[in-house]
Amino acid sequence: MSSAAELARLLAKASEGDTAAFRDFYDRTSAKLFGVILRILPERGEAEDVLQDVYVTIWRKAAEFDSSRASPITWTATIARNRAIDRLRAKGSRPTSPLEDAGLVEDCAPLADVQIDTARGAASVHAALAMLDPRQAAAIRSCYFEGLTYEELAAREGVPVGTLKSWVRRGIMRMRAAMGAAEGHGEHA
Amino acid sequence: MSDPTDMQPDDMLAMDFALGALDRPARKSAEARLRSDPAFRARVEGWQALLAPLDAETETVLPPGSVWAGVLDEIEPQRLSSPGPTTQSETKGLWHNLAFWRGLGIAGPALAAVALVAVNPTAPPVVTAPSDDQLAAAAPAQLSTSLAGADGAPLLAATWDPLRGTVVLTPVAERDDPDRDVELWVIEGDKPPRSLGIIEIATPNAHAISSQVVSGLQPGSVLAISIEPIGGSPTGLPTGPVVATGKLSAV
Repeated sequence: MSSAAELARLLAKASEGDTAAFRDFYDRTSAKLFGVILRILPERGEAEDVLQDVYVTIWRKAAEFDSSRASPITWTATIARNRAIDRLRAKGSRPTSPLEDAGLVEDCAPLADVQIDTARGAASVHAALAMLDPRQAAAIRSCYFEGLTYEELAAREGVPVGTLKSWVRRGIMRMRAAMGAAEGHGEHA
Repeated sequence: MSDPTDMQPDDMLAMDFALGALDRPARKSAEARLRSDPAFRARVEGWQALLAPLDAETETVLPPGSVWAGVLDEIEPQRLSSPGPTTQSETKGLWHNLAFWRGLGIAGPALAAVALVAVNPTAPPVVTAPSDDQLAAAAPAQLSTSLAGADGAPLLAATWDPLRGTVVLTPVAERDDPDRDVELWVIEGDKPPRSLGIIEIATPNAHAISSQVVSGLQPGSVLAISIEPIGGSPTGLPTGPVVATGKLSAV
């Protein structure tokens, strides 16, 4: 069972140079991160390159992990998403599938150990997404999962960029409102 | 009620970044903010925490064993220097050579020297220590260095302020290559170079790097700047040409 505390402990040992602990951390998290990267970079060899970079980065930054700011899996998945998006942006645009294909995914993947920490949050975020206009939800998903820019998505949808931006932002604001203030970040409106 | 126009611009930018929807220039600019602006970083982390549970639906995919082997090649120092059956056939070159960094770190007795390193792809690096005329104070209030390029023109002034816990980088020359990122490194003693992250030196503004990243910098630590692929070094060690180094000295 990979609780956040257990992953944090492995990260702390890794930061002291313990490669066995880091291997353990890798074994518990790499399938998750590979999945995240593959949605942004479907080409497998490229995704493998990025995954390798991501773990080297995690190893080097392990001492910077701060459990008061993020869970270990959120921290590592964020590094993976950012690296994958950086790679995607560096390549320029790519062919994308129409938004209609990006509808709600019904077949949730089997929960891996590391997902148990976020299962409750996932139920909540999915409930919040489900209450949005389906195309609004699909747009949010396309940005988040595929790493599409507002500009790319607007072109695909044939709507002005400004319209799409406000559409997506409004949707995320509604999600936050629906999920309550539990996340603890600042309210600004 | 939740009209986006009610949002502060920073919060909107933080949301866009966390969502991953920014184009490349906007993203790079936001990344620079992340490194220098803790309040902005906190906003981004808030949005990341909100969105992260979405990852639970992403199907897990077992990566091939070659990925871990590649990671291990990068993180185990003894593997870097051994000519064993590594799959990383790329010439790791100078920047993976710990002895070089070690030599640079202890070159000369004067901690205040500013070392310039000129590198071109075909010639060995030229290391000069042009100025030995200062001595490091035992308990410095600030550490600073100037990082100059191969032509001797200063690129950056860097000041480490232990009271504020930041390194402030002040570009003194404009330099912009849109296809490359500029990564800052620190070499402390005989440790391998440690990345301080991507820095934006295209605009003449000071950038602060957080204390968590640079805690414990000492006189004699060497700052180095390398040119890397977008997103930073893929290996965790400098891979591109090192355009400037400078040793921190007390001021």
